[in-house]
Amino acid sequence: MTGYFVRRFLLIIPTFIGITMAVFLVMNFVPGGPVERQIMRYRMAVATEGGVSGGGTNAEIPQEALDEMRRYYGFDKPVYTRYGLWLWNVLHLNLGRSYVYQDPVWDVIKARFPVSLFLGFSGFFLSYLVCIPLGVFKAIRHGSRFDLLSSLIVFLGYSIPGWALGTALLVLFGGGSFWSIFPLGGFRPSDWEYLNFFQKVAAQIHYMFLPVLCYTIESFATLTILMKNSLMENLGQDYVRTAYAKGLTERRVIFVHALRNSLIPISTGLGSEIGLILAGSFLIEKVFNIDGMGYLGYTSILQRDYPVALGILVIASLLLLVGNILSDMIYVIVDPRIRFK
Amino acid sequence: MTPVEMSANLPEIPPTVATGTPAAARSLSIFQKRVRKFRALKRGYYSFLLIVAAYGLSFFLPLLVNNIALAVRYQGHWYFPIAQYHPAATFGQQTFGEPDYRALSQTFHSEKSGNWVLLPPYPYSPTESLLDLPGDPPNPPSWQHIFGTDDRGRDIFARLAYGFNVSLSFAILVLVISLGLGGTVGAVLGYFGGKLDILGVRVIEIWSSLPFFYTIIIVSSIVVPIYLPERNLVLQPSFWLLIFILTAFDWMGITYYLRGEFYREKTKDYVAAAIAIGATDRSIIFRHILPNSLTPVVSFAPFMVVANIGALVALDFLGFGLPAPTPSWGELIGQGVDNLTKWWLVFFPLAAMFITLLLIVFIGEAVREAFDPKEYSRLR
Repeated sequence: MTGYFVRRFLLIIPTFIGITMAVFLVMNFVPGGPVERQIMRYRMAVATEGGVSGGGTNAEIPQEALDEMRRYYGFDKPVYTRYGLWLWNVLHLNLGRSYVYQDPVWDVIKARFPVSLFLGFSGFFLSYLVCIPLGVFKAIRHGSRFDLLSSLIVFLGYSIPGWALGTALLVLFGGGSFWSIFPLGGFRPSDWEYLNFFQKVAAQIHYMFLPVLCYTIESFATLTILMKNSLMENLGQDYVRTAYAKGLTERRVIFVHALRNSLIPISTGLGSEIGLILAGSFLIEKVFNIDGMGYLGYTSILQRDYPVALGILVIASLLLLVGNILSDMIYVIVDPRIRFK
Repeated sequence: MTPVEMSANLPEIPPTVATGTPAAARSLSIFQKRVRKFRALKRGYYSFLLIVAAYGLSFFLPLLVNNIALAVRYQGHWYFPIAQYHPAATFGQQTFGEPDYRALSQTFHSEKSGNWVLLPPYPYSPTESLLDLPGDPPNPPSWQHIFGTDDRGRDIFARLAYGFNVSLSFAILVLVISLGLGGTVGAVLGYFGGKLDILGVRVIEIWSSLPFFYTIIIVSSIVVPIYLPERNLVLQPSFWLLIFILTAFDWMGITYYLRGEFYREKTKDYVAAAIAIGATDRSIIFRHILPNSLTPVVSFAPFMVVANIGALVALDFLGFGLPAPTPSWGELIGQGVDNLTKWWLVFFPLAAMFITLLLIVFIGEAVREAFDPKEYSRLR
């Protein structure tokens, strides 16, 4: 089995090269790259400075300046050379320098890490904290009124994406047309540094309540139903019958025998959650104007800030790849019947 | 998938007698039984009828929600502008281009000269900017514009109605193409197995490790028209490009399912029998095994439609979706987030999306119940 996981880790290498090469190529065919943007900026500057008599857009940039600019952004070399250079730098943990922020990409991304981690982890814990008990309860009381009523909420969860719910909540509680209960967005208030500890906690909850709620909704329906079905399936198994037959209490049968086995499919999702924690929330970050990694990725694509966009891709896909392997590892740990070869 | 084949391939299902005259009694195929079960699940079945009816109706939207008159009676002549273009001068209007039929209707009405205009029931087009309304757009809901107008003065009800057709067509097309592609690849991998299977699974593994939504956004941000010289065609970033992009990520799930099903089915006796009578690989794959392995695919197809609509709305919301004048739900929600005081920009599109998705989820639950039932026997 060790061999299996070693192979899985080795497979990350070709997968990673495949992913980044595909995206690198695509980005090279996207118009409006950094050189074009600089030219535009130059022309606009000339047009505003020179006024009407200056000739406006006819102002041409001297060839040497153009070449200089291409060299600065690395566009004087063919695509494959540039990809090779980029990959070489990434291997040396150098993701390049942002075109927009003029800072090393790693610093730009690193500054957003805590924000995304906070949102991701709190949403992740909350959804497991709510969905597992709810799913268990629904399974035990299958067909009861509580089961049917909570199924309605599950249907709602299936039919509305978390970010879309977020827009509605923002209109309702963000102080636009109805109530002004929660801030319009952002991660923390601007006077964060001057707050004492308790004020900080209160402010953080105040700012993060809606985004975390939306994050939780995102996986609420699937997780609850997965838990319910998994437990129901186990409750029909022979070993549960045996447990009842030898006279165990129902509580013990369900919570000690059946529940343990039915948590297996839930626990395997843990690994892939790691990738989603950073990359999965950017619609919510966009809705609530939270300056996290996802939002940075979105703006970097809009502004054609390739080094940042690629840097986020690198981190997100590595997390996803490692997360998948982690899922399999958890699977092996919690279910000794599983053997990978 | 014909019902006859399915029953032929599954001899272990005991034949049941159809209700009817004893002379006409014959066994029901498993497919017919599943359909019967589906029809018995009222919530899902009625949702299905409702969605089918609404989707069918949405193809006649130009007759129902439009600013072009269905018929005009003018000075003893009949005109049908919905079928044929007439310039404004035809009806004595002092403008160029398309006549303003709403104004024309009012003029004729006040003149009482026997001329009249038959407008569609909801006489506003989804792409027409109504700038003559009081105040600045977006305008709040009123009797004329029941859901208000958006930030370019376009009627929201009209845009939602057309957006329903666009969203559902998009989701169904992505589903069908993914089914065809993913199904074929999955069938071939599962049936032939061996080295081909190992290679195929590796490729899919690489492909599915892409951060899905992020990559879609990067690809969708290509706004350059691609020129295909040999076909003398400019490929615009459009509906079809978006379908292509989403399909490229959607087909893998189906491939995994079908591959597994094929692995299981190909060891069964009926396949051995088919091989023994000399059936070709193609015939075994498509005529014998495929109808028997579609159950999981059928039962999660509605949920794929839900996911596709969700993805389209999200892309439109971010501004990487369908090209500009296309009526879309996500674009309206995006406007609403920029104008938080204009609640109707968010609530109505959300409601449209929510109701549509809820109905499809109901269908999905019923289909799953009918095609892939899980009997839970609870022991106490």
